Amino acid sequence: MLSWEYILQQLFNGVVVGAMYALLALGMTVIYGILRLIHFAHGALITVGAFCSYLCFMKLGVPFIATIFIVIAFGAFTGIILDVVAYKKVVGGPEVTLLITSLGFYIFIENFMKLVVSPQPYPFHPPEFLTKIYSNGITFRAIDIFTIVVSIAIMVAFQMFIKKTKMGKAMIATAENAEAARMVGINTNRIISIAFIVASAIAAITGFMWGAKYGQISYDMGFIAGVNAFVAIVIGGVGSIPGAMVGGFVLGMLSMFSVAFLPPGFAAFRDGIVFFILIIILIVKPSGIFGQKAAI
Amino acid sequence: MLSLEAIYVYYGVIPAVRELSIHVESGRIVTLVGANGAGKTTTLKAVMGVLLPSQGSILYEKEDVTKLPADKRVAKGIALIPEGRQIFGRLSVKDNLILGAYHRKDKDDIRKDMDWIYCLFPLLKEREAQIAGTLSGGEQQMLAVGRGLMSHPRLLLLDEPSLGLAPNIVTEIYDVIKEINESGMTMLLVEQNITMALKVSDYAYVMETGEIRTEGEPDEIMKEERILEAYLGE
Repeated sequence: MLSWEYILQQLFNGVVVGAMYALLALGMTVIYGILRLIHFAHGALITVGAFCSYLCFMKLGVPFIATIFIVIAFGAFTGIILDVVAYKKVVGGPEVTLLITSLGFYIFIENFMKLVVSPQPYPFHPPEFLTKIYSNGITFRAIDIFTIVVSIAIMVAFQMFIKKTKMGKAMIATAENAEAARMVGINTNRIISIAFIVASAIAAITGFMWGAKYGQISYDMGFIAGVNAFVAIVIGGVGSIPGAMVGGFVLGMLSMFSVAFLPPGFAAFRDGIVFFILIIILIVKPSGIFGQKAAI
Repeated sequence: MLSLEAIYVYYGVIPAVRELSIHVESGRIVTLVGANGAGKTTTLKAVMGVLLPSQGSILYEKEDVTKLPADKRVAKGIALIPEGRQIFGRLSVKDNLILGAYHRKDKDDIRKDMDWIYCLFPLLKEREAQIAGTLSGGEQQMLAVGRGLMSHPRLLLLDEPSLGLAPNIVTEIYDVIKEINESGMTMLLVEQNITMALKVSDYAYVMETGEIRTEGEPDEIMKEERILEAYLGE
């Protein structure tokens, strides 16, 4: 049963799932770096993104490329709303306030979605060309390749933004020392808004990929996605951008392998196994793979 | 150039600065001296706009800037070189300087100012690509001064530029401070190294528990034995 092809297949699946975790974790860690806020509501953005693509592409017949742009724009818009309505007023308060606010907003968005779209799951059909199946040793669909390519492109673009542009550098400076950033003339409020916009747009596009990969979307799909992104951050080292990306891929592999290499009966306990491994990692290396050093 | 008119600054309910009035005339170096916790750093932060006074007003170049946020004040020509350097440790030396000029659009002039700073501190030029967090304390202070100057300020606020530095580096930093003052820049200096500070300044205020205790020309302050006892331990 454990042929090379099987292992390769599981590795590939892990990369696809991991890429989506990594994208979510990326946005979450940037927001954490700047606001010291565990942004649980971030998971809700994939629900928003998934339903936005469902509505545009499947219901309204908007062309695929246009749908992608609408999803990005709508995600960014939701990010601004979250920033202005939810966080601007509580930033600077105790961390517990921030935590409760973000958890509260997750629950609010989830319930709001339940109200609007009803509790039952929806089938999600991506465009024809993404459903093509290739089988050559390992089996995959075009959406898998799409997910990997788009994810890596987004991550590279984000790294370029952070490392090469003045605004990206201002983002690192704000994350490191917001007061000093204000002293050199950086409008830190604007930096925070930009972080929310970028992170939310990325999460929304992840929502499309998530729906296309699993073929089904539901109002509560953001919960486990958000929790997994948070776990990815912890694995990689809280506040570290490379850590979030590596953590996402590691988590993707872990969840695939824990199903693939354990006896069939264990598949249902995947999340439990992943969290068990997380606890082990935290005991061995509490600061995560990238620790404090490489933070944002 | 700068007037603080009876400002009060609170941390929560605790007043750190009470009814404080100081005046800084254009082209001069004015020093605030005083013990730890006297409110000197708070005063500078209020001038920078990082903390906002709850009463009183701040006039800068005849304009009321009391409510103006820090990033807008930078654009008006105020810069603060903060206590403990506070350079951006994860960015390179060069990126720190680039962020110092964050609000500026004049690429050629930014380039010129950067060359000028490399001229003032040749060590920074050598370390241009190095991550700032790996610099020594003295180099970080040079970078902090350089970053402050990159915003092209007319009023420079310096918070304890000599803190924790070796004597020869303190002398080097102060030589630069004098040099840039002679080129016309106004300065408000906070310093515990009272002899060093009074040597370069034109006027001084002595602060105690959030208030001005006394003020005057540096030599008058030096003569006041009571102050020497309190702050120099002599």
